Amino acid sequence: MAQYLPVLVMAVLATLFAAGSFVASAIFAPKRPTKAKGAPYECGIVPRNAAAERFPVRFYLVAMIFIVFDIEIVFLYPWAADFRQLAAFGFAEVVVFAVIVFASFVYLIGNGALNWGPQKRVEPQVDLDVSNEDSLGSSSSGVRAA
Amino acid sequence: MGADPLLLGKISLGVLVLVVVKVVVAFAVLLVTVMLMIWFERKVISDMQNRIGPNRAGPFGLLQSLADGIKLFFKEDLVPDRSDSFVFKLAPYLAMVPAFVTFTIVPIGGYIKVFGYSTELQVADPPMGILLLLAMSSISVYGVMLAGWSSGSKYPLLGSVRASAQMISYEAAMGLSIVAVVLVTGSLSTRDMVLSQQGSFFGVIPHWNILRLGVIPFVIFLIAITAELNRPPFDLVEAEQELVGGFNTEYSSIRFALFYLAEFMNTVTMSAIIVTLFFGGPDGPDPAPLHWLWPILWFVIKTGVFAFIYVWLRAALPRLRYDRLMDLGWKVLIPLSLGWLLVIAGMQISKVAGFSMLAALIVGAGLLYRAMAVGQRSNATNAMSASLKVAPKDALDSRAKFGDTHVVSGKRVVTRISAEGVVSSKSGGDPDGRT
Repeated sequence: MAQYLPVLVMAVLATLFAAGSFVASAIFAPKRPTKAKGAPYECGIVPRNAAAERFPVRFYLVAMIFIVFDIEIVFLYPWAADFRQLAAFGFAEVVVFAVIVFASFVYLIGNGALNWGPQKRVEPQVDLDVSNEDSLGSSSSGVRAA
Repeated sequence: MGADPLLLGKISLGVLVLVVVKVVVAFAVLLVTVMLMIWFERKVISDMQNRIGPNRAGPFGLLQSLADGIKLFFKEDLVPDRSDSFVFKLAPYLAMVPAFVTFTIVPIGGYIKVFGYSTELQVADPPMGILLLLAMSSISVYGVMLAGWSSGSKYPLLGSVRASAQMISYEAAMGLSIVAVVLVTGSLSTRDMVLSQQGSFFGVIPHWNILRLGVIPFVIFLIAITAELNRPPFDLVEAEQELVGGFNTEYSSIRFALFYLAEFMNTVTMSAIIVTLFFGGPDGPDPAPLHWLWPILWFVIKTGVFAFIYVWLRAALPRLRYDRLMDLGWKVLIPLSLGWLLVIAGMQISKVAGFSMLAALIVGAGLLYRAMAVGQRSNATNAMSASLKVAPKDALDSRAKFGDTHVVSGKRVVTRISAEGVVSSKSGGDPDGRT
């Protein structure tokens, strides 16, 4: 474990440096807080509601899918480090493993789990008679509601 | 297994002092390097943009970053009222400490003898070596994420949510490309990686990993760590046109300075890591005198080249759109790095295994392409059926009636039908997460 000693020393030194900077800043910096300074910065507009507490569920989805690949990588490191001893047997094992992971990946992609494209908003309550030709994108795509 | 001879025996007081001296010297050099890097980036960018850049403080403006740093000590340190103040104060540590710790594993030169102790020109050489890089880059995600979350403000939160999704996505690709290096080295120690890259093919071409591994892992690694570093063209975290300043908007004074420091420190460290993994580290020609100096010189030159490349990328490339960024990471880099890893492993076993893996890679790519097309359609169908409350099959039939996402001459066109019966359509489309 002695090999980790310099890493530890470096971590301690970096922490001390950061802490020391905060102490120095506390000594030198002025302290005149006002209500406006304490408000969230939104380019001068007075913030009306709290910071958004909801964000798209896809961010969570990405985090979950990441776990699959992180686990895969965790398994690949010991294999790669001992590759010479394991040779053909280890290679075959990893190919099987990779195929399984890849199959799950293809399944995810096939389900559109990793699509980040724009979301469609379809509101069918109004009975629309939309002639939706491929003239989309042109200015003439205005449409009559029935 | 790599190990620093200094720490192999009993740890006497002399060894301890030497370790502390090594760390302090490395720390000081890193701080100066970061200051120079900030100056270098500003100067090169301004040259590329036909400006002069910093030229007031010191010769050629060299002391500009020092002056900025000192100035920030005298600025008011604000903690926003709505922030979670403990986490808000913790986040700069989480950003900065990993940046310094990562550098410890970089081999800078060969071996030297100091006061009878032989030691490596490298701060630390633990047996797990490169895993420390992965661990630290994971921790620095926390720094960015918690900084944005604890600010209690809209834009930092958005920036940090984007950042964490982006950083973990590219971490997978980064991890897979490092596995390729570990595979040919047979060890996790960075010193061993550098040693295994010494020598040359046919006496002329350097035996560096970039050639041994067939360039692709290097390209993937370069792209992945550019995204990890949140540097342009992947700097959506601090896309100032949309998010003010990104995750560190609410930070001021020295807290901001520490984030800034960590960012540039990471740039320098990652340049050094690229050199270590793919360009032989301190490896290079060694003419007669001063045998200890040449490796250091080669290392500094190579690292400087990559530091320049980062600045160049920033000056040359526009920022990616968020959905394209995620698509690049997940649908291209991760499968490609996995496939290429198997090709490399196969080539080590036999030519037959290698080429059959290459064939498998191409088949896999075809499969993936097909899956993407299916995924695109299934998303559209599901969204339809959810809002229409009908089975997916019927929804497909009603696509023509209600409008949908089309691909018209390679461009995605979104049709929106609002309750008023007005169809607006626009090309491109805003990625999620922009609210």
